[in-house]
Amino acid sequence: MIEIRIHGRGGQGGVTLAKLIATSRFLQGLSVQAFGLYAAERSGAPIQAFCRYADEPITNRNLIYEPDHVIVLDPTLVGPVIATGLKTGGWILVNSPEPPGEFANQFARYRLATVDATTIARDNNLGTRSVPIVNTALAGAVGRMLAIPLQEICAALEHLGFKGSNLAAASRAYEEVRLVESPREVGPPEALGAPADERRGPSLLEGAGAALPALKTGQWATEQPRRRQMIPPCNHICPAGNNVQGFLNALARDEPDEALEILLRTTPFPSICGRACPAPCMEACNRIELDGAVNVRQMERYAGDHGVVTPAPLARRDERIAIVGSGPAGLTAAYHLARFGYRAKVFESGAEIGGLLRSGIPEFRLPEDVVAREIDRILGLGIEVETDRRIDRQTLLGLARDHDAVLVATGLQEQRDLQLGMDGTEAVVQGIDFLDHVHRGDVRVDGESVVVIGGGNTAMDAARSALRLGARSVRVVYRRSRQEMPAIREEIHDAAEEGVSIDLLTQPVALHEEPSDGLLRRYRLTCRRMELGEPDESGRRAPMEIPDSDFELTCNRVILALGQSPDVSVFPEGTEVREGTQLLGLLETPLFAIGDLATHDGTIAAAIGSGRRAAVHIHRVLSGAHVRITEHADEYCDVDVWCDEVIRADALKLHLFERQAAAEGESLPIIERRSTFDEVHMGLEDATEAARCLSCGVCNECDLCCTYCPEGVLKRVGHRLEFDYAYCKGCGVCVTECPRSVIFMSHL
Amino acid sequence: MPVQVITGNHAAGYALSVAGEANRTARGVACGIYPITPQTEIVEYVAQFPFSKGRVVPVESEHSAMAVSMGASMNGARAFTASSANGLAYMAENVMVAGYYRLPIVMVAVNRTLGPPWNIWADQGDTLMLRDFAWLQFYCEDNQEVLDTTLLAFRLAEDRRILLPALTCMDAFIVSHTQTGTALPEQADVDRFLPDLDLPHRMHYDEARTLGGLAWPHEGLSMRLEIDEAMKRVADVYQECRESFTEIFGRDPGDVIQTFATDDAKLVLVASGTIATTAREVVRQRRKAGEKIGLVKLKMFRPFPEAALREACQAATRVAVLDRNYAAGAGGIFWQDTRAAFQGHRDDLLIQNYLTGLCGGDVTPTVIDEILADLTARANAGDPVWMGIQTSKETLQ
Repeated sequence: MIEIRIHGRGGQGGVTLAKLIATSRFLQGLSVQAFGLYAAERSGAPIQAFCRYADEPITNRNLIYEPDHVIVLDPTLVGPVIATGLKTGGWILVNSPEPPGEFANQFARYRLATVDATTIARDNNLGTRSVPIVNTALAGAVGRMLAIPLQEICAALEHLGFKGSNLAAASRAYEEVRLVESPREVGPPEALGAPADERRGPSLLEGAGAALPALKTGQWATEQPRRRQMIPPCNHICPAGNNVQGFLNALARDEPDEALEILLRTTPFPSICGRACPAPCMEACNRIELDGAVNVRQMERYAGDHGVVTPAPLARRDERIAIVGSGPAGLTAAYHLARFGYRAKVFESGAEIGGLLRSGIPEFRLPEDVVAREIDRILGLGIEVETDRRIDRQTLLGLARDHDAVLVATGLQEQRDLQLGMDGTEAVVQGIDFLDHVHRGDVRVDGESVVVIGGGNTAMDAARSALRLGARSVRVVYRRSRQEMPAIREEIHDAAEEGVSIDLLTQPVALHEEPSDGLLRRYRLTCRRMELGEPDESGRRAPMEIPDSDFELTCNRVILALGQSPDVSVFPEGTEVREGTQLLGLLETPLFAIGDLATHDGTIAAAIGSGRRAAVHIHRVLSGAHVRITEHADEYCDVDVWCDEVIRADALKLHLFERQAAAEGESLPIIERRSTFDEVHMGLEDATEAARCLSCGVCNECDLCCTYCPEGVLKRVGHRLEFDYAYCKGCGVCVTECPRSVIFMSHL
Repeated sequence: MPVQVITGNHAAGYALSVAGEANRTARGVACGIYPITPQTEIVEYVAQFPFSKGRVVPVESEHSAMAVSMGASMNGARAFTASSANGLAYMAENVMVAGYYRLPIVMVAVNRTLGPPWNIWADQGDTLMLRDFAWLQFYCEDNQEVLDTTLLAFRLAEDRRILLPALTCMDAFIVSHTQTGTALPEQADVDRFLPDLDLPHRMHYDEARTLGGLAWPHEGLSMRLEIDEAMKRVADVYQECRESFTEIFGRDPGDVIQTFATDDAKLVLVASGTIATTAREVVRQRRKAGEKIGLVKLKMFRPFPEAALREACQAATRVAVLDRNYAAGAGGIFWQDTRAAFQGHRDDLLIQNYLTGLCGGDVTPTVIDEILADLTARANAGDPVWMGIQTSKETLQ
């Protein structure tokens, strides 16, 4: 009689393999038995199956304790246990891509065979990719190993209804199985220790059954759940590198101080960005796929306005850093350097620090007290300031001698012109200059028809300011379509709402003075209609002139808001100004250009990001400290895997979330806006909007996984999820229930 | 007659199905059934069988499974079901009712341990719990015997002289899930073996009648006496059925007890189910060494085959009864009835009880040898002896 024991996992087809072997012998007239050893196992659990065959009728109804041969369906089961009771010289067949010699040291006493049944099964589409059914392939290998002709194996397969790919798998395994016929010479097997004289098993009463052996169901698992953290799209896209998800999560927990603290790790300007940021995070928000983006801008404003945190230097250092320019990039760099402990000094050419934060954005969008508060918080770190100090090429060299590092953040100074024929006259004023006059309160445009040329925020701010200063009419002239306008969507909307008319696809070509009616000068602006062609180097579709489409506008004032370019005259001749962490010039002192000067980006958020990166970089250079520089300040949760991938909406289970429209907050009535520079948007009264954040790819401790774990092997310990892998069967319910793709299955 | 490598469950499902199908020219088939490990394969088999008349009714519990089968049986359907262990315990009330209604339902039971402790392996305690419910009970040792006995049980149960339900039992996994070569009879032969069911107390729509209503003591007693008389006829009717079976299928389904080398045996082992197979092999080996040892396999437990057992043990001085079951506070159940069978007939006979293989323990030849050693060595019969606990420990670890 031949007795065979099969080690496999539930679902691999071990019992069927036993039956296949038995059937192949049965069809040759032998007496056979095939059976499994069953318990409470389910898919993936280690199982054993048995097969015996003999010429005589089989009278043995016992399990097989001393098999002639052993077959292992899953290589992860290979261990001393598979040779238990195996007769010396018996075959061990392992489903493995390795050659049999790999197992020779472990099983010196036996003949060894291997076959890559998993690959064969997958190639033949047997089972699933994760759980291939390997039994029919192994049946072929068994045939070769036990000198059973292939046609007898195939006859058994066909007898049991296996066709096509199963026959192919068996045939291929029959060919590919590798055999090592001779066991190595070894001494006699070690005598097994005498079994303990323990006639009785455990008591049900003593220890209340605890004496029963624990069934560690974790060994059934072929997959295990793990926690990962992915990058939320808001965090990924934020030019300042803010941990958007993190501060929203704190607000959702009604912790505005913590939210502000999270923001202050990256940005010193949450109240400012909460008003003036174009908020690309909201355009990237996955919640758009459900019911609209989370109103991140308003939430940042809420955290900035309501949180109370006083940042302090984290250390004290002696190195002196000079920062030229006090716009958002310079101040952000000064802020972070001061927090690292450096002695930072800011040089500003104007009378007050803040750059365009003060003069470039009108009060109705960004009140001055908000700007003052955030600048004061930065200066509270002990930053020295020198105003009315213009730095030129010569003085820059001086700064480099006196400091350990110099940052230049002079922004965009040169305003672009349009050759209309009256440039340099009082007919044409630059938008930035106009806004500066507005800021100082020394300009009025009562009764004027104002034309603003441009499509950015400066154009919108100038137009809206002109309306508030008594303009009879304001029209914005822009050469592309609304789609291409660089201004914040909301500001375009607000401008239109307030009565600014916008002429799109319109290119001014000439300006002429007209006879005046006496009170105001009159100008005639010749414009040309445009159409959009192929995208240009900016990625936007280029405007193309439509021939013979000229028309004329009459106005009393033209404001140019065409953008600015950097003034690089401060640097040595020929310096190529690049962003961030690139050293400039040949000085020994590190010298960097940051902010708009280097990036030309034009947003506060980008300036903040540039300033922070430069500060961190300088700190690393000067201190030698290993400071992590990343684009983003995402907090690492206590997770198993950091996944460097941005999570998209299709990875979320949006159906698990309730629909709820975004909170917009109140605005000043339109009728009132004409006569006041009061802030238009009033902000939200509470932070409940933050609870709409889906926390994409980041665990927010919703604990649905713990609630639904059918085995009770998942629990929260503090901020950590603990899986009891000794008992986790890998059912995947926690993965199904996790709304944000934090939990995933990992193959074992 | 094709021979296939199939499980005991498959054999049982086949027998139940072809027997039911054989009643298609009368009132057809009916089966209320509910799955439980290790019987589930039977449910799967009968559920996919393309019956010509009648159907399998999925129910919500074992109790309802038997209720459906009873209702259908009363109306002339050939009714059957199958269950195991705690499922049988839940079904118990209606199991009893089917017996006292005299409905010839056939049930296949896979003998599994009644929990707790939770255990799915072989133990006869579940069907022996039902031993006093006026059912015939048969214990089988292999797939072929399960199939043949199940077919025979229909013929016997439906015989006008008997009209009692019948239970065919097999050891969990050792039979139910073990695949061996098994001969599957043709439907035409089954049709010949099982004539249309003609129930004398069948219910009819157009003839309102109460079955099993209130009975005064003398009426109830008479009905119990009727059962007793029917039970007494079983031994003879069984032989008629067995002969017919052998003639039609060309295979002997086996007697109610099956002896091996008992003619001159001084020591006789009494066993049932798969333990009998192992014991027979031990006896065969030790006979070669000249030991006067024999085996009685008890196939039929209800009615208990007293006379046949006494006859088989005529030469014996010592009898060992091997029980894969335990009546708490009393001992092995086969042992109790064996002792009663010899009471007043062979008071000199030493009858010793061995409790072994309970909760799925593997009864190996070594255990049988230990039992024979104990039996040989003892001066008197004593309390039941628990055997093979250590062996059982090795079984599943």
